[in-house]
Parts: sequence; structure tokens; C-alpha cells
Amino acid sequence: MISHRQANAQRITALDERAEALHLKRGMGIADARAMHPSIDVVEADPEADRRLLESLADWCDRYTPLVAIDAADGLFLDVTGCTHLFGGERAMLDDILSRFFHQGFDVRAGLAATPGAAWAAARFSGDRIVAGGEEEALLAPLPLAALRIEPDIRASLESVGLRTAGAVMAAPRAPLARRFGRSLLLRLDQALGRLDEAVSPRLPVAPLSVERHLAEPIMLTDEIERLVKMLATTLKVDLERRGEGARRLALLLFRVDGAVSRIAVGTSRPLREPLLIQKLFHERLAALEQDIDAGYGFDLVRLSVLSAAAFDMQQADLAGETRDDGADIALFADRIRARLGDSAVLKPVAVESHLPERAVAMHPYAEAPQRISPPKKPGKIQDTSSKPVFRPERPIRLFRSPEPIEVPATEMPEGPPLNFRWRRALYRVARAEGPERIAPEWWREASGQEDAPTRDYFRIEDSDGRRYWLYRQGLYGASQLPPRWFMHGVFA
Amino acid sequence: MTPPMTPLDSSGALWNPREHNRNDCEWKLTVMATSAVARETVFALRRQIAKIERTLPERLQAPAGAAPVDAPRNPTSDVTPQNPTADVTHKNITPGDLTIVRRGLAVAPPDAFLRTGAEGLDTALSGGLPKAALSEIHGAATRDAGAVAGFALSLVSLILKQGPPRLPVLWIGTAEVFREAGFPYARGLLGLFGIEPEQLLFSEAPRLLDALWTAEEAARMTALAAVILEVRGSPQRLDLTATRRLHARAQSAGRPVFLLRQAGEPEPTAAPVRLVLSAAPSAPRKTIAGPLAGSMGRPAFTVSIGKSRTALPGQFTLEWNPDERNFEERRAREGRARQERAANPVAVVSASRRGKDPAPASGAVLAFAAVGSPAAGDQPSPGERAAHHRPRRAG
Repeated sequence: MISHRQANAQRITALDERAEALHLKRGMGIADARAMHPSIDVVEADPEADRRLLESLADWCDRYTPLVAIDAADGLFLDVTGCTHLFGGERAMLDDILSRFFHQGFDVRAGLAATPGAAWAAARFSGDRIVAGGEEEALLAPLPLAALRIEPDIRASLESVGLRTAGAVMAAPRAPLARRFGRSLLLRLDQALGRLDEAVSPRLPVAPLSVERHLAEPIMLTDEIERLVKMLATTLKVDLERRGEGARRLALLLFRVDGAVSRIAVGTSRPLREPLLIQKLFHERLAALEQDIDAGYGFDLVRLSVLSAAAFDMQQADLAGETRDDGADIALFADRIRARLGDSAVLKPVAVESHLPERAVAMHPYAEAPQRISPPKKPGKIQDTSSKPVFRPERPIRLFRSPEPIEVPATEMPEGPPLNFRWRRALYRVARAEGPERIAPEWWREASGQEDAPTRDYFRIEDSDGRRYWLYRQGLYGASQLPPRWFMHGVFA
Repeated sequence: MTPPMTPLDSSGALWNPREHNRNDCEWKLTVMATSAVARETVFALRRQIAKIERTLPERLQAPAGAAPVDAPRNPTSDVTPQNPTADVTHKNITPGDLTIVRRGLAVAPPDAFLRTGAEGLDTALSGGLPKAALSEIHGAATRDAGAVAGFALSLVSLILKQGPPRLPVLWIGTAEVFREAGFPYARGLLGLFGIEPEQLLFSEAPRLLDALWTAEEAARMTALAAVILEVRGSPQRLDLTATRRLHARAQSAGRPVFLLRQAGEPEPTAAPVRLVLSAAPSAPRKTIAGPLAGSMGRPAFTVSIGKSRTALPGQFTLEWNPDERNFEERRAREGRARQERAANPVAVVSASRRGKDPAPASGAVLAFAAVGSPAAGDQPSPGERAAHHRPRRAG
């Protein structure tokens, strides 16, 4: 029942009540403890797992407030400002938290106060106490110095001058304290007493909008979750409309009865507020995650949050009340594919100014791809050369992601096309060839001092069956000791 | 001239009944009784297929006059000299005769078909490829991916040319097929088929199941001009049920779905038409001074009809014109091109300037089409060929 840690010696870092009853203490060597009580059960400490547990608890505490922060290795801060009335007041809320944690099997101490410092001290040193505003001083005065959240060496030096309680420090004159022990002591003191504001930095970004529903009866079925999503989205729509916004990223939080929280996020390529469409997106996401979500004994709280929103452009409907927008259909389609198959499931090619074939087209996920802006076609202005080139070299219709090496046993001329070549173990005879088209590397992209990448001489090749390929020779004959290598880069129609 | 479709030798579906009434043979009369039963079975099966595919025609029974001619046919009887109408096309046949053969399609509106513009292929397909349907395009091997994709894209290009412009095209493929056959290259598609990069959407699915799901979702969308689903091999999941779902969605949306299959076996699918594609040797580029020997001109395809309930088996060589964006059927032209090449041999390779044996500049600089090779101006003249510039035989 005792966990331990390696600090050049095995020492006790945490122990339970029964071990405490045996007069074991923290920091005691394991060898000493075993000598005292040979039957103790020692478990290796796992800080990583502790951290994960604390994070999942923090997720669960999201049900009380969106502002949850992790405090060191064993504490959580909940900023419940403005949330207590939802749970029937401060006392009821605290009791609720404690009883729920108790049923989950945790031994929790909590304190509630107007300042984080006072709440911290109340939780750790006076136990389940609600400190009303202005009572911080009375709370802290009898507590030991450790309640002030100060560094151990400052605490030691304070104790060495006889200041053993927080009350004693508060009574001491401030200027000498600051001079002797540094500003951090007074800062902590002021924060605990509410003279200085202390912000709790939440673990997760706070969603600008979220709606939730507490359920008396836990739900388990995907259909029920989806129906609830639609209901929540309907509520959300009102808020989004008031703000003139649509959601770009949405998260669904499912709080399981036993404390596990599932977080399901979807992204949209256009601002969205229609409940039915939101439901559709979550339908796909839930279908994709079917195995990963364990409903267990059911979910008792469902929350839908808007993680990021964007301005929603109103659309002009025609007289029949119909808005004809094919782009919206495709955006929704792309979102659904994306919700199920991942962010890069639908790709959109974007022409890039580059003469290197593999760089000339960039693939963007549909949602992030730049929207088409029709280029202004004015005479006298420089035209967009990517869409209407003056001279358009022939390019293959399929390009291999990485050029595939081919074996070229012989060429007719040193710099001419091959007579035959071997690609993927099959021999091809060249019937016709055109080229070369020389494509030099982009020297302006290379780091200075680096040797230039070899130029490529591209050939259009037709084999004896009429199939057309795009080959290139990398480098020139005689440029180096090794003969230049050949690659297959694409296929023509 | 009648298009060079295969004579009606191997198909008993299309022939002129009157012809046979005239050349009535005794053996035909003897098998009449059995044929009537067989015909009934065929009709019953067709009715069932039509019910499944929701293309129930108005009339299923054969016209009265055609009854005795449904005898099993000897394939050789078609090519005998007594059958002068062996190369008859659909146009010469009266509508009554077509009821059996062109069920469902005969009553479809004319714009339900995508006319490829190649007369022979259109006639053989009785009007073109169905627009609102699943169409299979096969390539025998993965190395035919260029021809298969090229043909499908030229069809898409035709659709975009006719239909509402600016609708996007979705190309779905499994990761495997894009790795093996190459990813579609937007620059090449723009140059050859006039499809803007903004009009293209690609979806790469790690598994076939995901690709099929994406295709099904896409097939029901009217906001897409066409959906291309590319699959390699003959996976079990792509069975009759899966293709039927795709076909039904394509029918209800009124948009074509092209199923490209690289190295796939011809399996039973719900697609009404299956075309088998292979590349055809390209014709030389045309210049003002005549064809430029040794050069590679427009892309050419050999299309054979692998399956169609209405069409005859046949093989056609089509050439895609990227400038006009239409097909041209190649007939005897290829043979002529070969002759020209033989008569006027020129090095098939243009010489590079930096070679050890630089070829002198040729006397005449030829004008090129917009899709010219940049180095083509370096062609040596025939008389100045170096000793190793022997003309090479194709193949």
C-alpha cells in the first residue's frame, strides 16, 4: 500500500491510512520500513499514470465549470465563478463534487474560497471548508507556513527566524519581509488574501459557446446521442444567430457516469449553424469512432461546444425560398467525409508557381484550401500565368509521388532517349520518343554552398504497345564518375 | 460508309428478321418449338433484371412477325453471302425489332446518353454511354492506367463541355491505386482535358471500404459533374451489391459514376456498360508541312466493348483532340501513318545540343501545335543524319 520512488534510495513518497497507522512516514527509506514491518506492500511510483489520471479527472470536472486547471501533481483548480447556482449553491456543489468523487473511489479534499490561494490552503489544511469572502485572513492565520504556497527554502528561512504560522508572517512588517525573503512571499500572501488577482489558467481553451444537458437517466445508444446533439444544436443556433456567427469547429463532450469523458470534435469548411447538418457531421464522426467510444453504464451529461466560430454570411434566397448553392452541398459533403475519414480525406489541388513538376501542384485539405477567386481579366494587367500559359508544355496526367528508378541498359545517343528500359521488372521497348525537355532545379531554394541538384532531361516515350510515359535522366553523362540514373515520373493518356 | 463495327457475327441479338423469313431453312423450323421455350425464359429473366434495375420497358413481348426467327443461330450463317445486311446498324432496323434488344433504353430521352462523338462507338452503344449510370472502364494491367484514366477524363471533359460548367469532379481512389498507378496530376489534366484545378477534388481512402462509402455518398450528389472511383485488382467487396448501390444512386442523381478498374477481372457488376481500354500508338503530329514523322501526337485509345446489354462487341480506336475537346475515330489512318513514316524516315530522336556529335541545325523550322515539344526544333534533316541515327522500327 505504499508507493515509492528512486532518489538514489528507495523512499516512501505516498502511503495510505493503514500504513500511517503503522507509524510509517513519507521520506522514510523502504529498507527501514521493511525492517519495521516486513509485510508491507510496496508499489513502484508511476508519475506518468498519475498525471494521466489527474487529466482525466480534470476532464470530468469540466462538468462543473469550463475553467479547470491542474495544480502541481495532485490538485485541481476549478474556477466556479458564476457556476454555483446551477448546482444549488456553493455548499451543494461542494457536496456534489465530494460525493461523486467518493463514489468513484477517490479520497478528495476540497476547499472553496474567493481566492485560489485561500481555497488551496482550505483544501489542504482545514478540509472541506467554504471560506466566505473576507474571511481569508482568519482562515490562514492559524495555518502553518506551508499553506502559503511558498518555496521550501523561504519557508525554512522564515521558520529559522521564528515565524512559524501564516498569521505571524501577516503580522510582520512588509518592507523587511520583502527585502529579506524576496517578492514571491508577499505575492503569495497578497494573492491568498485577495489583494492581488490570481488567474487560474485553464487546461483547455474555453469554448466561446457551449450548451449542455444533464440527464436523469444515462443514455448509451448512438441514436440517442445524435438526437441529443440535434437538440443541443437547436439551442446553440439561437446563440450563434445572435452573434451572427457560424461554427467552424465543434466538440461534443460525453461525460460517462463513472467519470470518463469522451471528446469528439468535428471541423467544418464553412461556418455552420443548421442543427440538422451538425447532427449529420456528428453522425459520421460517431460512426467512425464506433469502436473507440465505450458507453459503459451510459452518459449522464452531454455538452456541445463551439470551439471556434466565424462570421456567417447571410445568403439571399430567391422568391421560392430556395437558395441554390452547389458549393454548400460540396462543403457539407467534404465535411462529412472528413468527419469520418480524417482531415486529408478530401483534397483540392492548387496550382503553384514552379516549373518543377512535383512542386507545381500542391494538395490542400478541402477545408483549408484557398477559395477560388476568379482572376480579374483586364487587358494590360499581368495575367495569371498558372491558368493560361502562353506555351503549355505537355504534362502527364498521372504523376508518381516519388519518381521510380528504372534501368536503362542502352541509349541510342549519349544524351538521347533510351532504346528500352526496365520498369518494375518488366522490359519495355521504346517505339517513339520526344524530348528532351530540360528542367533545372530551383537554385534559389537551395542552401548556399550546397552542391546543385542535377538537372533532369525529360523524355516522352511511347512503348511498342502505345503506352506513353514520362521518363527523365538525372544528370549528364560525364558530369561524374557514375552514369546518370533514369527515373519514371509519370504516365500520359 | 457504314462505321467499321464488327460484323454481327458473334451476336444473335441484332439482325433483320425479314432477311431470315426469306432464307427460311428447314433446320430453323425444326428447332422452333424449343426456341419458343428458351425465348420465354430469356424474357422472364430480362423482365426480372429490368425490375431490379427499374428500367421496365413498355413492351416486353416480341412483335408478332418476329416470332419464328428467334431460333438459335449459327454464328457462321451471318457471314454467308446470303446475308447481305450483316453490317446493318441500329438505324436500319424498324423500332418493332428493337423492342427485344433495346429494352428500357429505346424509350429513354436522347439526352440520357453521352455521345462520345465517335460515330462507330456511339452506334455500337446505341446512342452513347448512359449518363445517369455506373460505367465500368477496365484496363488489363496497371501500366494501362494512363489510357484508362485518360479515356475516363475525356468523357468527363465532354460532360463538362456539354453540361453545366464549373461543377467539380470528384476522383476517389484507394491509397494502393494512387501509389501503383500514380496520383492524378492537375497540370496535365488542365492541358489535355481542360479541367481546371479548381474543379478537381481528390479523395484518397486507405481502405476500399472507405473509398466505396465515399463513392456512394458522392454518387447521390447533384453538385458534382461526375464521380470517378478507381480500384485496383478484383476485390471481393466490389461485388454485385456494391456496384448496384452505386448504380442506383447514380441513376437517381442523374450523374455518371465511372468505375476505373486497373488490372481487374471482368466480374458480374451492375454497370450496364463495361469498356476495356488499352493504349493505341499515337499518330504523328500534324504540322503545316504534313505529319512530323517520329513525333507523338494526340493521345489515342483502343476501346473495346466488354459488356453491354444492347451493344455489339467491337473494337474502336479513338483519338482525343485536346484543343477541340472531342474524339475522332481513327480508321485506316494508322496504316497510312505507318506508310508515311516508312517512306520518309527521320531520326525519331531529336539531337541534343550538348552531345558529343552535335547535329547541325536543320534547314526548315517547322511550326508546332500548342502542345509542342520544346526541343523539336532541333530535328536534324534526313540527309545529315549521323551514322548511328538509324531509323528505328516501332516495337
